[in-house]
Amino acid sequence: MTGVVDAEAVTKRYGEVLGLNGFSATFSEGITGLVGPNGAGKSTLFRLLAGQLRADAGRLTLLGQPAWGQGEFRRRVGYCPESPALFDWMSGNDFVTTLLRVDGFSRTEAAERCAHAMAEVDLTADGNRRLRVYSKGMRQRVKIAQCIAHDPELILLDEPLNGVDPVGRAAMSALMRRMSAAGRHLIVSSHVLYEVERLTDQIVMIANGQAIAQGDLHRIRDLIDSRPHVIDLESSDPRALGRALSAWDHVVSIEFPEPGHLRILTRSPDSFYATLPELVLAQGLNVQAVRSADDNLDAVFRYLSEERR
Amino acid sequence: MTGEMSRLATVAWLSFRSGLQGLRAVGLAAFAVFPALIVAAIASSHPAASTLANSAVSLFALLTLPIVAMVILLVLAVAQFRTEIDAETLIYLSDRSVARPTLVVGKYLGAVGSSLVFVLPAAVLPLAVASLGGGTAYPASVPGAVAMAAVLATLAYAGIFLFLGLATRSALLVGLLFGFLWEELLPLLPGDVPQFTVIFYLRSYLSGTLTSGPLSGYSGAIDPVAAIVVLVLVAAAFVVLASLVFRYLETAPEKETA
Repeated sequence: MTGVVDAEAVTKRYGEVLGLNGFSATFSEGITGLVGPNGAGKSTLFRLLAGQLRADAGRLTLLGQPAWGQGEFRRRVGYCPESPALFDWMSGNDFVTTLLRVDGFSRTEAAERCAHAMAEVDLTADGNRRLRVYSKGMRQRVKIAQCIAHDPELILLDEPLNGVDPVGRAAMSALMRRMSAAGRHLIVSSHVLYEVERLTDQIVMIANGQAIAQGDLHRIRDLIDSRPHVIDLESSDPRALGRALSAWDHVVSIEFPEPGHLRILTRSPDSFYATLPELVLAQGLNVQAVRSADDNLDAVFRYLSEERR
Repeated sequence: MTGEMSRLATVAWLSFRSGLQGLRAVGLAAFAVFPALIVAAIASSHPAASTLANSAVSLFALLTLPIVAMVILLVLAVAQFRTEIDAETLIYLSDRSVARPTLVVGKYLGAVGSSLVFVLPAAVLPLAVASLGGGTAYPASVPGAVAMAAVLATLAYAGIFLFLGLATRSALLVGLLFGFLWEELLPLLPGDVPQFTVIFYLRSYLSGTLTSGPLSGYSGAIDPVAAIVVLVLVAAAFVVLASLVFRYLETAPEKETA
């Protein structure tokens, strides 16, 4: 195997729980999506790649180096963890600059790179504000800024679009495409296939700690498209948003499970994700977060997992 | 400054600032002024000048060093790794190209610096309160020796607690047991057993430096210079041990979502 990341029968246990169970896959150049339901082992794989965990068995390399290890090669890797935790007392600029200094950049170069990275994620105006006042989407973006500021070859993004508003999603997707076009390799995890699929056709599907499919999406797409898909939205005015969405043919039902929340069932998640940003901008609607409830995807993963046995 | 020294300084400065943030810092500051408040309370009852001066010095050995400084150092040194692992912020440092021993030494220096912000006033303020409140004026050697003992305690205990923060997930509990059982009970035992405690060397230093007053004449005390050497070696040994542990430590939090 000669990918950007190679995993060969990687196993990671947490006591008696298997985080990864003989995971084998090759992640090629460009953007690769790592898709699987919550608890499938995506974050475990990312933590192994980030050197936060050590595999119990198997072989895991990134950029030809063993994943468990420190040293200068880590400067060639950028990691955006799933956790929203940050040094909340720091400003965005302070956070990114400090991490660049830890990576060995001079004060001047760190400041220049910080300014560039913050501009890439559209946080220049908020760079001097404390991280504790950042919204969920801004926190996600500053995490990406620290991940790309040192200009790494390989970028690991763990659920980068989770909880980000539709406009922010579009901007971040565009940023990922730009980074890929600039020759960077990205591994992007998500439990929402549609998000990743719009970035790349290179996909590794993971369930129960194993890679259950790699590359070919057609069969997976057919399975997913045959099931209605549940999507949760947060909005300050869910009624107005619901009225606008009810005009779409593929939206089967709309519920208001709690104040500020909207749950829709759609037969065409592709169309939904593709046209939601346009609708939001055109009608001036407020959408604070979009989440795919993965019950339906779970069924597909179960199907693929069983088929593999 | 060379590359690795610059990284070390950045980690130390980050850790120093981190130790002075939030409600934790406010709580520790309130805790640090506690000995000074006790001396102020004693002063308000108008005792003899020498009694007031001696009580402030005694308080340093009985309260400030074994309890106030111990708790401050435990909280701040354990926070450097264990709290950051649990809060999932350590990953931003540990996935960088910085060497792991540099991270450990930087965090140690940060812990020492931020702890001294609280420990030094806790040690010296009561003496100032006693002097201003009518106590006998201290010779310059007394506040100097007390401040030095506070620095030595900070160096040694910060190393031990930093190590505990890496070696066990129950670092606060183990640290409390160490501070209030090991360090308090072993010195009461006969023979050479007290020499296995940090407090023995701190008291030896104070006893050898302060030739008069309540802290002089500590039974079994060793030479103060030897005590300083032992305390510095203890600090260095635990920082080295912490580096060895960190080299092989998985830094994901205990709660795991896979």
